[in-house]
Amino acid sequence: MLQYLFAGLALGAIYAIASVALVATYVSSGVFNFALGSMAFTVARFYYFLNTESGWPILPSAVVSLGLFAPALGAVLYWLLFRHLRLRSPLIKVVATIGLSVALPPAVELVFGKLTNVTAPGLAPVPLKVFHPFGAAVNMDQIMTYLGLVVVLVLGIAVLQYTDLGLKVRALVDSEALTSLSGVNPTRVSLGVWAVSTVLTGLAGILLAPTAGLSVEGMTYLMAAAFAAVVAARLNGLATAVAVALAMGVVTTVIQRYLDPESALSAQIVPSIPFAFMLLALLYHAWRRRAGEPPAGGALDRAIRVAGGATGGPAPARRGLADPTLIASGVALLSVAALPLVLPEYWAGLTATGLALAIALLSYTLVTGEGGMIWLCQITFAGMGAVLSAELATYHGWPPLLAVFVGALLIVVVGAVIGLLTIRLGDLYVALVTLTFGLLVQTLLFTRDRFYNFGQGTAMPRPGFAEDTRVFSYLTLGTFLLLALLIVNLRRSTAGMAMRAVRWSEDGARTLGLSVVQMKLLVSALATYTAAVGGGFLAMNSQSSLPDSYNVFSGLVWLAVLVTVGSRSLMAALVAGLSFHLFPGVFQTYLPTGWAEVPVLLFGLGAVMVAKDPDGILAVHARQLRGLLARRGGGLPQPSGRPAQAALASGSPDSAVHQLTGGDR
Amino acid sequence: MNAVSTSPVPAPPARLEAVGVTVRFGGLVALNKVDLRIPPGSMVGLVGPNGAGKSTLFAVLSGLLRPNEGRVLMGGGDVTRATPQARARRGLSRTFQRPELFSGLTVREHLVLGDRVRHSGDRIWRDLLTGGGFRRPSKEEDERVDRLLEALHLGGLQHREAAGLSLGAGRLVEVARALAVEPEVLLLDEPSSGLDMRETEELAATLRRVVEERGLSLLLVEHDVDLVLGMCDTVNVLDFGAMIRSGTPEEIRSDPAVRAAYLGEEPAPRDAEAKRDEEDA
Amino acid sequence: MSESEERMDCEAREGGAAPLLSVADLQVRYGPAQALFDVSFELAADTTLAVLGANGAGKSTLARALSGLVPPSGGRIRFDGRDITAKAPDVIRRAGLVHLPEGRGVFPALTVQENLRMGLAVDRADRKAALERAFSIFPVLAQRHRQRAGTLSGGEQQMLSLARALMVSPRLVIADELSLGLAPRLVDVVFENLQRAREAGVSVIMIEQFAHRALGFADRCLILQRGVVAWSGPAEAAGDELLHRYLGEGTAA
Repeated sequence: MLQYLFAGLALGAIYAIASVALVATYVSSGVFNFALGSMAFTVARFYYFLNTESGWPILPSAVVSLGLFAPALGAVLYWLLFRHLRLRSPLIKVVATIGLSVALPPAVELVFGKLTNVTAPGLAPVPLKVFHPFGAAVNMDQIMTYLGLVVVLVLGIAVLQYTDLGLKVRALVDSEALTSLSGVNPTRVSLGVWAVSTVLTGLAGILLAPTAGLSVEGMTYLMAAAFAAVVAARLNGLATAVAVALAMGVVTTVIQRYLDPESALSAQIVPSIPFAFMLLALLYHAWRRRAGEPPAGGALDRAIRVAGGATGGPAPARRGLADPTLIASGVALLSVAALPLVLPEYWAGLTATGLALAIALLSYTLVTGEGGMIWLCQITFAGMGAVLSAELATYHGWPPLLAVFVGALLIVVVGAVIGLLTIRLGDLYVALVTLTFGLLVQTLLFTRDRFYNFGQGTAMPRPGFAEDTRVFSYLTLGTFLLLALLIVNLRRSTAGMAMRAVRWSEDGARTLGLSVVQMKLLVSALATYTAAVGGGFLAMNSQSSLPDSYNVFSGLVWLAVLVTVGSRSLMAALVAGLSFHLFPGVFQTYLPTGWAEVPVLLFGLGAVMVAKDPDGILAVHARQLRGLLARRGGGLPQPSGRPAQAALASGSPDSAVHQLTGGDR
Repeated sequence: MNAVSTSPVPAPPARLEAVGVTVRFGGLVALNKVDLRIPPGSMVGLVGPNGAGKSTLFAVLSGLLRPNEGRVLMGGGDVTRATPQARARRGLSRTFQRPELFSGLTVREHLVLGDRVRHSGDRIWRDLLTGGGFRRPSKEEDERVDRLLEALHLGGLQHREAAGLSLGAGRLVEVARALAVEPEVLLLDEPSSGLDMRETEELAATLRRVVEERGLSLLLVEHDVDLVLGMCDTVNVLDFGAMIRSGTPEEIRSDPAVRAAYLGEEPAPRDAEAKRDEEDA
Repeated sequence: MSESEERMDCEAREGGAAPLLSVADLQVRYGPAQALFDVSFELAADTTLAVLGANGAGKSTLARALSGLVPPSGGRIRFDGRDITAKAPDVIRRAGLVHLPEGRGVFPALTVQENLRMGLAVDRADRKAALERAFSIFPVLAQRHRQRAGTLSGGEQQMLSLARALMVSPRLVIADELSLGLAPRLVDVVFENLQRAREAGVSVIMIEQFAHRALGFADRCLILQRGVVAWSGPAEAAGDELLHRYLGEGTAA
């Protein structure tokens, strides 16, 4: 028993160090760092490079990676990215840090090479010394971990409480505006906080590597656990976060004592413990009605904050059929429609997959683009749609299309429940709840033998008339268009207006007589349905449910790609879906294998860029093109090709197309 | 005219009434046993220095904040526990000190939404099934919306998104949206701040006309005391969370306690230094 | 000094000295909404300026633009001989301009003592003496020096805010509604201490809702109306009639 406790405390100490880093950056710069896992991986990988690959002794390796590399990494990332996020919308903050978490690992692999063996030493010399206090074994790695936490806490408290620097940090947490009015440069203080917390993140990564392995997955799991501790602490209480982190570590190891290590159940329960903690904490806070976002800064900070969000300017007037934007979108669609005909088999297959994904991505367009809610579990709904429709089709003999469209209706119930549960939560909590839900479904449901089937999943036939990839592509494109048409109808209808009203001002909407609950339920239900249908099509495309492909973290890449292209435009969903599959295809086919990770890197970087341009690249391209046209005095560019296509899809009223026709007249 | 009276003569049920409303935030008393009556067809003013509790009272009246004590009545019926949307459906509409606009909607859409809530509430659901997004709006709806746009001089801005509007235009849009649901009681929180002189006068004229034409009741919170004294039948003065005076504009104009609350010329009636930070102006 | 100064009215200049603060054609926008239009004025050293105006007239915005909290969208601000237009607040603070923001200008989670230490973040010289000065001005702060500022009463918080400005020797203090919500006795204390600062050579810009009180104290007066300078001149020339016309507030009687 004692031995489990020792191991649990070690695990908890690592979680605690990571939680401290998470809280520090959140309270000082308002950014909840979804890239924590990747940053931990990066530092740990650098340590491994020095210590194992270059043969440096432990001490210099640790000093260089934690004393030089980690703070430099934190400072550079703060300067390049986090600095710009403070006043951005919650969606942009989430997406940009997700982008970073997507982009960092492949970048690291490009530099240091891919690891085949993930076992890595920690800060203790190998072979590990083992001690036997009270008859239980404690190894040197665990002792280093306890030491690490103690040093972090003692140093942290000393600096924060008793130094001028600590005073400035606490002042910054209280009010950025007032801090700067006191003559202290907030940017410099934040830079320091990021540098220090990256050291902590890296330390947690290095300490975790011996037990969980030096892999992105292991570090991501560390991040999820730290999230749980921080959510329990309502995002700002350091002491609570550390306590919960330790408790979580202990529960995780102690529970293993009572579980049969060979059973499938324990393989599912153990990884779910942090998520269970988070869910309990969220329900508790929601029940106490304390799950709003803690306001950033004081009244003064809020008063000087310029109203962000949507861009101004004239909105599109109602347009007729002769509208150039509509015509151009039509042209773009036709060229997409031609792809299955002109492309060889391999590429046509990728196109079909991309089209099916585009359907699922429409669900983000609905829930995030229209509803303004940051849901990170759309991929889980897609996965549930895939699994359920495969079940219905294979075991109950339903026709595949019926299984997809009716099965999705059942998933809607799940989405509606989540919508109801999260209705009063702040944006960040919503993101975390949905992320947790996704992780839970992934570990508890998708891995069940019945659905999992050694990763193959359940077979999912295509409809008899669409077994050919080309026909199937058209079926998928048709479904996409149908759903897109429904979304256009929704946008322009009364419900669409009411939905946007609720999104932009709940108080305004309620006092007008609109029900916030109804509108949020509506958008949750529609988005869930769309995601589940998309999942069904993905399953039909691969002719199997493949539950592994609905990993929540792949969903984060989906979101990153979509927001990069544009979260509000329907065409963006199509472009994002296609590029998600065609782009890596190009790299795999025509470039050396070492470059295979580059597309992911680029997707991540794209999402990072939204920190500077929240509208997505379609809008940016449209704007650039407009600028170009303005400089040229209205010269006519080619009406085809990607930039023009991009401009059409942006849906911006004074988009390049309008300029184009303006120059024409 | 004698709308607020303490006499036992039974008055007609007020459109909206606050009885003994008390709101506490932690240890601070933001509103202390406040009474307020808005009779049918009347214009009632509410004035008071910054932080006196005006916006808190508005939040209680419109249902966004539940009072710790006291009741809110509409047409004599108790609505203290009714949601904002239930009160809205009973004919209550309001604007906010900081305009609560729907950033992604155009000016016209704000009004269309208000109009549909009033005249075709079922369209919220019906549109989804019948392709309502692609149908033209009805002629009557267009006319009503156009009339309102014209009344508030918003015609030129009707296709602009709310996010790009000036503060003054935003206030007018809020007033127009509130009028589009054709309420029985309209609560206006500082409608003239951010408007210039001409716009303020035009807004006042519009409001007077609507009150006359529709028998609307109005509660007006303003820092522009002249506007309140010039428009309203009854004026209430709130200071440090308590209603210190109610009376006709003439009575209020010459009241020493009111002058003290505004000018600090004489000692304020009570020492309540800690109460004023509930509203950041 | 610069060409822009010649365009300004020179009435505020005294003794031919260069003004401590000169503001030319200042414009501020909050997003799409414009809050200040072409505001110009000068403030000589050792003078006190009362800025008056109704709610939403742009008084606080003016203060925030001067201290760098909100970036101006146009115009120039010169302070003590240097251009501080669009400089960061910490740079402007180090140049000697202290802004006491409206509401509670304190860090609620820090103790009284720590709040005062933050007030000394720039002026490092002789912290001990500065702290003693603060405690001698407001003895109540000494009693509560280990208490969190957020748990002080409103009046005590205002005192703390003011102490943070008075314990150092700035060139200019902008006091935004310092007497807001204070009991009359405490308002007196605030004015007494501003007077003391003034005697020590500190210039003051006071934004006040108690117009008469502010006018009795200030040398000059500036009335803002909907973001525009409606009137400016010597404080004693700003009579009831003028206030009534521009403020409306209560002076109606």
